Amino acid sequence: MTQTLQVTAAGKGDFLPPDPDGFREYVRQNKDRRPVNKVVSEKEAVSRFVSDGDYLAYDQNIAVRGPTSLYREIIRQHKKDLWVAAKFTWTDVSLLIAGGCVSKVDVGWMESGALLNKAVKDGSVKLIEWTNGALAYRLLAGSLGVPYLPMRYMGGTDTFEQSGARLTEDPYTGMPLCVVPALNPDVALIHVHQADVHGNARVFGAGVAPAEMAMASKKVIISTEEIIDNEEIRKQPQRTTIPYYLVDAVVEAPFGSYPGSTPGLYGADIEHWLTFAAAQAQGKTDEYLDHWVHSLASHQELLDERLGEQKLAQLREGETVTEGYYD
Amino acid sequence: MTESEADRATLSLTDIEATICHIAHIIEEDKLYFVQMAGAPLMALLLAKRLHTPGVGYVVEEGAVSPDPSFPLPRMMLGASRSHYRAVQWTGMNVVDAHAALGFMDYGLLAALQIDRFGNFNSTHIGGTFDQPERRFGGPGGATEIASQCWRTIIMTKLQKRKFVEKVDFVSSPGYLDGTPGARERAGMPSGTGPWRVVTAEATFDFDEDSRQMRLIALAPWTTKEEVLEKMGFEPLVADKLESMRVPSEEELNAIRAEIDPGGFSTGRGEWITIDAATGNKAG
Repeated sequence: MTQTLQVTAAGKGDFLPPDPDGFREYVRQNKDRRPVNKVVSEKEAVSRFVSDGDYLAYDQNIAVRGPTSLYREIIRQHKKDLWVAAKFTWTDVSLLIAGGCVSKVDVGWMESGALLNKAVKDGSVKLIEWTNGALAYRLLAGSLGVPYLPMRYMGGTDTFEQSGARLTEDPYTGMPLCVVPALNPDVALIHVHQADVHGNARVFGAGVAPAEMAMASKKVIISTEEIIDNEEIRKQPQRTTIPYYLVDAVVEAPFGSYPGSTPGLYGADIEHWLTFAAAQAQGKTDEYLDHWVHSLASHQELLDERLGEQKLAQLREGETVTEGYYD
Repeated sequence: MTESEADRATLSLTDIEATICHIAHIIEEDKLYFVQMAGAPLMALLLAKRLHTPGVGYVVEEGAVSPDPSFPLPRMMLGASRSHYRAVQWTGMNVVDAHAALGFMDYGLLAALQIDRFGNFNSTHIGGTFDQPERRFGGPGGATEIASQCWRTIIMTKLQKRKFVEKVDFVSSPGYLDGTPGARERAGMPSGTGPWRVVTAEATFDFDEDSRQMRLIALAPWTTKEEVLEKMGFEPLVADKLESMRVPSEEELNAIRAEIDPGGFSTGRGEWITIDAATGNKAG
């Protein structure tokens, strides 16, 4: 007897329709299987692999191991109409809104200051509700090549109503079950501690979902604190979080999470966060972006001209915990 | 009594500090906790760990399992290396959420902006509509997976009319939904789960087993039942016998101020009260 999955309730939120066969075909046509050198500048990575209208995902956030040098490049290149996954996020979304880059946000958690409130009210940014865990789980589904996964939360809430989740009857047990569609972002930005030129990448510390995100996304840009030899990767293969064939571009970006920290390496610049918060409160984020993004040609210029060696040394000293990361 | 002796016999504390002390005191050493990432819920767990239950295990949503942070803690705890220090495992969000789905997490520990009589809570917007909110907030974060999948959920908030409301502006995360039997299970949540305590500085609530409605069960010594009900936007059930909540100790307050939240970045912002250190009665 044929049984069909009974959908008993459906949220009204938008989502990219899951398309596992389309994803497979994309991989077949576009992803390079050879271990070639993928090192490019952030300028080239963003111009080649981020397009207006893309669905953009990133791992971690502007406070910890977020790919902030790539955010700044996206703003510098005036990318538009991005649909952003705000999973376990802080001011990342506000920064991209300030840059005029965002039209839709999938909400897990984000900082919600003046910029976001204004953008929601004037309709320039549309929000779709999920949770941090639901977005990570949708990436897990996306990373497995299946169109959806069942889970045991979100049903019964207004969050569900504003999401793209469905309530179903489980075909095995008959019990009510929430299902969420696979998330296969157009592009993922992932900042890592170490990578080789092919894109074999290592993330140290609690990670949120870097491996799932790299697997689920069509285009993957890695920014890395340092580039290490492929020989080093092969000596400790268990430390590889992301293998090379998932990766499209490798960008060398020391202090690539500034003003956030990269655990085990350098601490966050709390004063810089306060600067952004003040700019947001005073409606002066254009001046902030002029100073920190548009007047600079690259991340390296930011390090050289806005921070300097003494400041970078302070940030390194600001990381007091190193145990467990590089040993 | 001299004036200085009288000073020593009183304690001044914020409502946030009081709430943290109350929660720290109900933490059990032989249970596992899923704690909302930073802020007051984590501080309550860490206070318990520092003073009462040093071996208690907990996870945070970004994937750190049973860390043992070093005190004094840094000002910015979110995902930072110091809050993950000496964990037994560094993993990711899908793994710790699955630990909750499997039934390992006895308690979820959360904060809420707004809560209704069935323990449904809001972290999405206050006022207006979803599309045109008066004030948009950050969203549920990890609270929904925690409140749905841990066996029991402890929710901390402030005792204010605008927080305890008949109908929340948006059900971000579930309590007992409409309170009917089996409502959570019908919505796809694991059975036998739900909000267990709502803790504020002045009062503690549980949920009636039959009606699933919030019930006042304990009062801080410095307040009365009438004062508590006056600060709520709906009338809760009231237990036949109201327990008296423990008076926060000087030791607990010192640990909060010197080690858990040096500088009072989170805990010093609340409303201040002064109480008799021995009885907990309002001083003055």
